[in-house]
Amino acid sequence: MATRALPQATTRSVLGTEVGAFLRHVDYLLLLAVGGVIAYGLWVLNAVTRHDIPGDPGYYLFRQEIYVAVGAVALAVMAVIDPELLRRYKRALYGLMIFLLLIVFPLADRVRGSKRWITVGSFNFQPSEIGKVLLILFLAGFIADRARRVGEWRTMWAVVGLAAVPIVLVFQEPDFGSAMLYGSAAVAVLFFAGAPWKQLAALVATVAVVAVGIFWFLPSAGVDVLDQYQKDRLVGFLHPDVDPGGSTYNVNQSITAVGSGGYDGRGVAGATQTNLDFLPEHNTDFIFSSLAEQRGFLGAATLLLLYGLIAWRGIKIIAVAPSLFTAAAAGAIVFTFLVQIFVNVGMTIGIAPVTGIPLPFVSFGGSSMITTLAMVGLLEAIHIRGRLAAQK
Amino acid sequence: MALRIAVVGVFAVTIFCVLFFRLWALQVISGQRYLDEARNNQVRTFRAPAQRGSIIDRNGKVLVSNVPSTVAQLWPAALNDLSADERTQTLRRVGRLLDVPYRQIEKELKARKNDLLTPVTIKTDVPNAKVNYLLEHQNDFPGVQVSQASLRHYDDGAIASQLLGYLSEISPQQVEARAKDGYAPGDRIGQSGVEGAYDTYLRGQPGIGRVYVDALGRVKSAREYEQLPEAGDNVRLTIDADLQRTAEEALDYGIRIAHEDGRWAADGGALVAMDPNTGEILALASNPSFDPRIYTGRVQQKNLNQLAKSSANHPTLDRAVAGVYPPGSTFKPVTALAALESGLVAPDELIQCTGKEVVDGQVFKNWDPYANEPMTMTTALAASCDTYFYQLGLRFYERKDSPLQSWARDMGFGAKTGVDVGPEERGLVPTPSWRRRYFKTEIDKIWTSGDSVQLAIGQGDVLVTPLQMARLYGMIATGGKLVEPHVVKSVEEPGNEGQAPVVLRPYAPKPPKDVQLDQSAVRVVQEGLYQATHESYGTSSGIFGSFPIEIAGKTGTAEKYVRLPGYSGLQDQAWWCGYGPYASPKLVVCALIENGGHGGIAAAPAALRVFEKYFKVDPDSYSASVKNSD
Repeated sequence: MATRALPQATTRSVLGTEVGAFLRHVDYLLLLAVGGVIAYGLWVLNAVTRHDIPGDPGYYLFRQEIYVAVGAVALAVMAVIDPELLRRYKRALYGLMIFLLLIVFPLADRVRGSKRWITVGSFNFQPSEIGKVLLILFLAGFIADRARRVGEWRTMWAVVGLAAVPIVLVFQEPDFGSAMLYGSAAVAVLFFAGAPWKQLAALVATVAVVAVGIFWFLPSAGVDVLDQYQKDRLVGFLHPDVDPGGSTYNVNQSITAVGSGGYDGRGVAGATQTNLDFLPEHNTDFIFSSLAEQRGFLGAATLLLLYGLIAWRGIKIIAVAPSLFTAAAAGAIVFTFLVQIFVNVGMTIGIAPVTGIPLPFVSFGGSSMITTLAMVGLLEAIHIRGRLAAQK
Repeated sequence: MALRIAVVGVFAVTIFCVLFFRLWALQVISGQRYLDEARNNQVRTFRAPAQRGSIIDRNGKVLVSNVPSTVAQLWPAALNDLSADERTQTLRRVGRLLDVPYRQIEKELKARKNDLLTPVTIKTDVPNAKVNYLLEHQNDFPGVQVSQASLRHYDDGAIASQLLGYLSEISPQQVEARAKDGYAPGDRIGQSGVEGAYDTYLRGQPGIGRVYVDALGRVKSAREYEQLPEAGDNVRLTIDADLQRTAEEALDYGIRIAHEDGRWAADGGALVAMDPNTGEILALASNPSFDPRIYTGRVQQKNLNQLAKSSANHPTLDRAVAGVYPPGSTFKPVTALAALESGLVAPDELIQCTGKEVVDGQVFKNWDPYANEPMTMTTALAASCDTYFYQLGLRFYERKDSPLQSWARDMGFGAKTGVDVGPEERGLVPTPSWRRRYFKTEIDKIWTSGDSVQLAIGQGDVLVTPLQMARLYGMIATGGKLVEPHVVKSVEEPGNEGQAPVVLRPYAPKPPKDVQLDQSAVRVVQEGLYQATHESYGTSSGIFGSFPIEIAGKTGTAEKYVRLPGYSGLQDQAWWCGYGPYASPKLVVCALIENGGHGGIAAAPAALRVFEKYFKVDPDSYSASVKNSD
């Protein structure tokens, strides 16, 4: 009976007399930073995409604004819902995630060799994005339930095993970038739940062995886990000049775009790499290159500083998290956020493999925008609960 | 927990630092370099081939000019930006539209995979309806471009094909070798004949300019020329187109009468007509020939295979300058002059002409087995008595300094004539030292009396080209002047409307080489050649005897070991070389019919046709008859 009473009590505390306290403990600096990045991102997207659809310069901007609006609602909802409630339904969330990742295979159309998007009405929905937040919630809840056995090997392997299911699924789409983020989330959950250092070291070693197996042993044994294009892209950034017309073409064009931006950019009209389509996917995965080309080092650095602000607030929220569950969830959100920024920006400047993951809040795309805002909402929820708990 | 939060904080600081430094390095430190790169990215340098010069004959008749043609080209760089599926689909689509097999397009793109910035022509002469379709559906054909090109046009049909040569796309090796002359990938370059030898004049200056393109290679700006194309110059030949056509028909005629004479293997020939005073070549024919139009536009492999088949008998070979044959009796004037100059024989010395000669146990036959009378040199030349010349050969054999060979070399044998179109063969003048070098076994290394006897009548190992022979008879005609044969008269620019063309570079042949012959010796040989065409015992008097212009010349029937499909053995090569008018020579003609049998039957009538044409003699105004002789 108590299990049912708890959510009701929480709801009342938010919707009732404690609304004032709730609002007082919102991390406004985080909201401000996120709002800043989004506003900046919309400004960038507008400049980058105005030549893309002839006769409709606002095509992408308008849609992205709708996604922001929907995402804002998601943020608010997630901030209001008590994370502990989500923890209670973690198995359902896990099941939902697996379900969403599975229906991609029969329903999705192949786009550039990959089945990632399901079309719902006029909206292209990407389950692997939503899956990110679902996986984090589930893994954090799973490990929090076993708080006393966190140090045990079987707990760690259970987490790894449960994370491996969605990782393998997105890998099959194939969506190597999301698989990498899922892996990062699992490691982060273990890390912030307090898994012993030697277990973490063993995990990293295992990942290394698996990676070597995928790249080396299995192919030599005749089993190709990765498609050739994926291998080429993953290692291509190490040798960008090997095949300038082929697998590293995108990266070289991207580096040229970024470099040509110089200190203060070439402006919207002068950004030939973007406007003449030399830069591939310049409204999604490679939007950072377009930003860097149009606005130069100043424009790119501004965005990175805003991201830094979000990261800083995120890390503070890990510290104030009221429970192991919320700390692990917040830690995983912050860590995957950092990895995502590094991999996306790094890929555009030739220091990370080309994996096709979006730049948070800036790349065009509803699933990413809404999911990332929902994760910010989760962070806010944790912050508010943490502050409230600290007050009592 | 605090430690772990600190770890993630350090991680965050680290990645932001890495990103900042990398951005700083790219944008601020190397920014200018990437800016240049980005600017070059959108600029594509194009080459607009210049209008190629025409080739005209000595009278200004156009032999080769140009016609405009619409071509479809692919930009490899733009195709590389497409996904594999899209690329295949685009190529299939354009292949279907233009009737070019998909596999062939792929093959050609593959051949140019290291050069992404030069368009690959996949179709010439694209019909207008298809051009319009391509232009209206540009989005379905990324990387496909329609442009204008000019193709070679053969105004006078397929004549002088080997001489004119052909154009084809420059090979990577040629680009490397001739890059400093301004040749670039994608250029068309003359590969043989006049087109090849005079390519630098004919090609003009290609226009070079820049155009702005997007990532799919679609042109986004007007063409800006840095250098406008400059049309090539015309090349005026010494060739007379009408005489050339006659020469080619004469070869067909010679082959036909050889066939009628039972010479089934007669399958080719060459004919040279030249001004003996200047070396200007008026006709240079080679048989079999080919239609030069198979090299215009997109070359079809199956047509080239057709040419390369052994049954086609090497139609692209210019036999007049690159075919080598034993000269047979047409070589006897060389022997005669060398013997007179060396003092081995006196002009009026009588030597018995017999049916055969036994030299060191070996029997050498005369072509006329019943001959048995004493002859002077003049008569021996006119009657082409082999045994007379065997005697001279034996006298040469006694001399250890090989005077016959050195005279033969002085008269231009065993070396290139220097004619301005090639490739040219040098032939062979066999000497004792050549035998020692060339042969492996001791017995073969020895120069025997038989070798000298054979050489004296132009048999054995001696090899000559028809052009070398024409030059020899020109030398006899002019009393010892060895000219530099050439086919080009001048390089010129067409004059403005109604004006005469402007000569930019006249062809300046080297002055004729004086072979320093004793004029009395030359006159003996000239007299022999005159009698050969006029006296009853002359070998081609039946053909030239009643010709209104006085012609002097000599037949030849040279045995050559030949390999034909399904046959190998000795075949007679039919020769006739001579000149006219006898008193003041204007034209020297040398005709050869491969495996044609007797020179007097197959070759002399072919040469006669050329004289008829040149001297405008009506064939019905006199009577010629074919005579079976050497």
